[in-house]
Amino acid sequence: MEGTTLVEASIQLGASIEALCGGKKICGKCRVRIEDGAQGGLGPDASHSHAGPWKAEEQAHISPEERDAGFRLACAAQVHGDLVIFVPEESRRAAPVISKHVTPIHIDPDPAVKLYTVQLTPPSLEDSTGDFERLCTELERIHGLTDLTIDWLALKRISRSLRTGHWTVTAVLWEDREILDIFPGIMEDAYGIAADVGTTTMAVYLCNLGTMEVVATESMMNPLAGYGEDVMSRITYHMTNRSGLETMRKELTAGLNSMITRACNRILPVGCDCERGIAADSGHDVARLSSYGADHAADLSPGSNDKDRDSRLTTRRLLLDMTVVGNTVMHHILVGLDPQVVGIAPFTTAIGHSLDIRARDLGISIGDSAYVHVLPNQAGFVGADNVGVILAEEPHRKEEIQLIIDIGTNGELVLGNNKRMISCSCATGPALEGAHITFGMRAASGAIERVVIDPETHEVDFKVIGRQAWKSRLIPEEIGAKGICGSGILDLFAELYLSEIITGSGRFNPEQKSPRFRRDADSGIAEFVVAWANETAVGRDLVITQKDVRQIQLAKAAIYSGCKLLMRKMGVARVDAIKIAGAFGNHVDRQKVTIVGMLPDCEPDRVSFVGNAAGDGARVALLNHGKRREADWIARNTEHLVLTLEEDFQKEFTEALHIPHMKDRFPLIEAFNRPSG
Amino acid sequence: MDSDMKRKEILEGLSRAVVEYQEDRAVELAQRALDEGMDAFDAIMNGLAAGMKTVGELYDRHEYFVPEILMCADALYCGLDILKPHIRKEQADASQGQVVIGTVQGDVHDIGKNLVKMMLEVAGFTVHDLGRDVPVSRFLEELERTGSDIVALSSMMTTTMMRVKGAISEIRESNPAVSIMIGGAPVTREVADLFGSDGFAESAGNAVQEAMRLMSQMRGDAAALSAR
Repeated sequence: MEGTTLVEASIQLGASIEALCGGKKICGKCRVRIEDGAQGGLGPDASHSHAGPWKAEEQAHISPEERDAGFRLACAAQVHGDLVIFVPEESRRAAPVISKHVTPIHIDPDPAVKLYTVQLTPPSLEDSTGDFERLCTELERIHGLTDLTIDWLALKRISRSLRTGHWTVTAVLWEDREILDIFPGIMEDAYGIAADVGTTTMAVYLCNLGTMEVVATESMMNPLAGYGEDVMSRITYHMTNRSGLETMRKELTAGLNSMITRACNRILPVGCDCERGIAADSGHDVARLSSYGADHAADLSPGSNDKDRDSRLTTRRLLLDMTVVGNTVMHHILVGLDPQVVGIAPFTTAIGHSLDIRARDLGISIGDSAYVHVLPNQAGFVGADNVGVILAEEPHRKEEIQLIIDIGTNGELVLGNNKRMISCSCATGPALEGAHITFGMRAASGAIERVVIDPETHEVDFKVIGRQAWKSRLIPEEIGAKGICGSGILDLFAELYLSEIITGSGRFNPEQKSPRFRRDADSGIAEFVVAWANETAVGRDLVITQKDVRQIQLAKAAIYSGCKLLMRKMGVARVDAIKIAGAFGNHVDRQKVTIVGMLPDCEPDRVSFVGNAAGDGARVALLNHGKRREADWIARNTEHLVLTLEEDFQKEFTEALHIPHMKDRFPLIEAFNRPSG
Repeated sequence: MDSDMKRKEILEGLSRAVVEYQEDRAVELAQRALDEGMDAFDAIMNGLAAGMKTVGELYDRHEYFVPEILMCADALYCGLDILKPHIRKEQADASQGQVVIGTVQGDVHDIGKNLVKMMLEVAGFTVHDLGRDVPVSRFLEELERTGSDIVALSSMMTTTMMRVKGAISEIRESNPAVSIMIGGAPVTREVADLFGSDGFAESAGNAVQEAMRLMSQMRGDAAALSAR
């Protein structure tokens, strides 16, 4: 561990220090205190001098007094001997509240993986046809399936399965052409995984391929956050580390596998008295997994029959298909493709078409012979996740013109209808997810998620995740605010503007009526106190600075100018409906999002939040394989606009920095938001 | 005394017109400066450019943002258009220095680079802008053609920042005399040192100071050399 940074060391040790900027010494979220060795029981040898030289960048985040007290940035300080480190509350990576809920959408059942149960005539001395040929003959006779192949690992099971099942078997077929597994007896349920690999968060949906039900949902932070919060820094990690790509690919796979395992553990195998089918136990959010026949119930309990290890039915073996969506860079890393081409102009991809890769080749632990279907990329920065969004929301099947905005670290926009669709990506930046903001944090316990400012007194009220009541109804000690998350940041931004604490230009109004407004003594930068130190868990005033406001303006301007240039390219002055996707979208206040000029003018009741549409798209492709071809069609037939190459992008972007806009007006939104009476 | 008072008043007015981005006011005061027989170069440097310096400071404190800078620049150029034809030739030749600027290959972001270019021009530098997605060979050609003192490289993405290092060593090799400064969102002082860059600009306002520093350093070097 000698010479590694404290952040890297903490990852290796399984501790968690927040490193939003990916260790680039920019965000200052990883402040830690080097303790005297004696306190930690490591003896006097563990000392400050073991933390490596002080770096110039640390100065911006650590005051001289704090430096004297032992504070360092964990991404700058290095391990050079024994160290005892105290990680303050605000520097700990909090357990995230990730919203990757399942949205109810209609899907026609037609999975790529289907089960066929057949009864074979047992062989005899007169009829000694091979087991595989015997199975194929019957599958053709009963189900009309021809030209079948079988995966080697499935073939290894065939003889035993046929005999254990007394010549009644259930064959698992992929695309009606390849046998992936053979189960003795009758089996009715196969399962699949739909996965959404986002830059910041990942989710898997475990679905029953027969009933279409989502049996379990799991989510986690993307483990690659340790290599950089945005995709660009992850590409850079690959460029600067010899085995960087393989390291990240393995981390990503391990993350997916851990979610899959957790999802499987939610569906408990049932004992001998099992019933067929899935019965949801809503009280515990656990579903029961039936066996395919009481005869084989013994197979279900691990370790019950060690000599039958091969044929033992594990939950994993029932996971027979998987689909994945993700942005282009996550796509490339997961598949092990060089992501450099994505990160440098002219921003190409290794492959635009969808992929079917054997899960075992990727190291993903589902059924031994199962495939992972990776949805197609559209263009350099418009990835399979955006194709997933289109697949779920189907703008290409409707007459009305829809604008779909997937807000993430990188925003993706789609505009169009059944005649034409155009998409683009816009550099939203991580501000709306809580990064690059002085007291920004992810949506986790202690994060301020809603804000209201009294326009007269400029008093602030807010709600913290994990507390039911608003701040004004709690005693200060109960509040425990740690930072501000994305929805809180947008709320705060809108409230600062509505109460005229900031002007339309985003600058703090020179006429302030509250002591909450002040200037930093050293830098002279203006700031506004959102929560006083005694209302926080971090013991410091939570402020929003002039610089923070600028970051939010950059994000909203990126989205608005992207929407506007797409509309111009399409030749439309107004859109019929706006859908906001992304986990962030679920929590946002409609009034706040419209009033700051982030969206083009639209009937506010036609603005809706569609949740994790990319993940829904993965589910659509899992449960209906025709949609996989449709996804390829979408990827090839959606036009792509590169915003920064548009001649007047700079002008449009600059004008959109203004709140709500320097020139454009929003009559529909204004009419809706105007206080009545 | 009286003309001194007038001069001071006009210079302050020009400066304020730029800071408050009032184009009409800049035009009016520039014209008045000429009518009063003031030195045009004086009005530009101590009026308009002084105002832009204040704008740079406001920008560094995040009080002014991209739109304000552009509007201030508009006001500045309005005044400049009137005054420029009246500066004397020897004044016009007294450029602060020449800079070749561009966004490195693979990067298509140029708003930040455009701001730096403008601030440098306002401060009296002659700037040759190569635009964005510029291969190293183009930088070298332009340096050769113009005999510039400084080359300024911008990269806005960590991926293209990685290319800056190679660009620096190529430029060093073929043109050891030129000073190199780099900047852009992902670039830090440490990166600049690591890549062997002579200068680093954290912001558009800071870029001018850094360019000035590099110029005086080069002049110092030249003076030391000739003294030997």
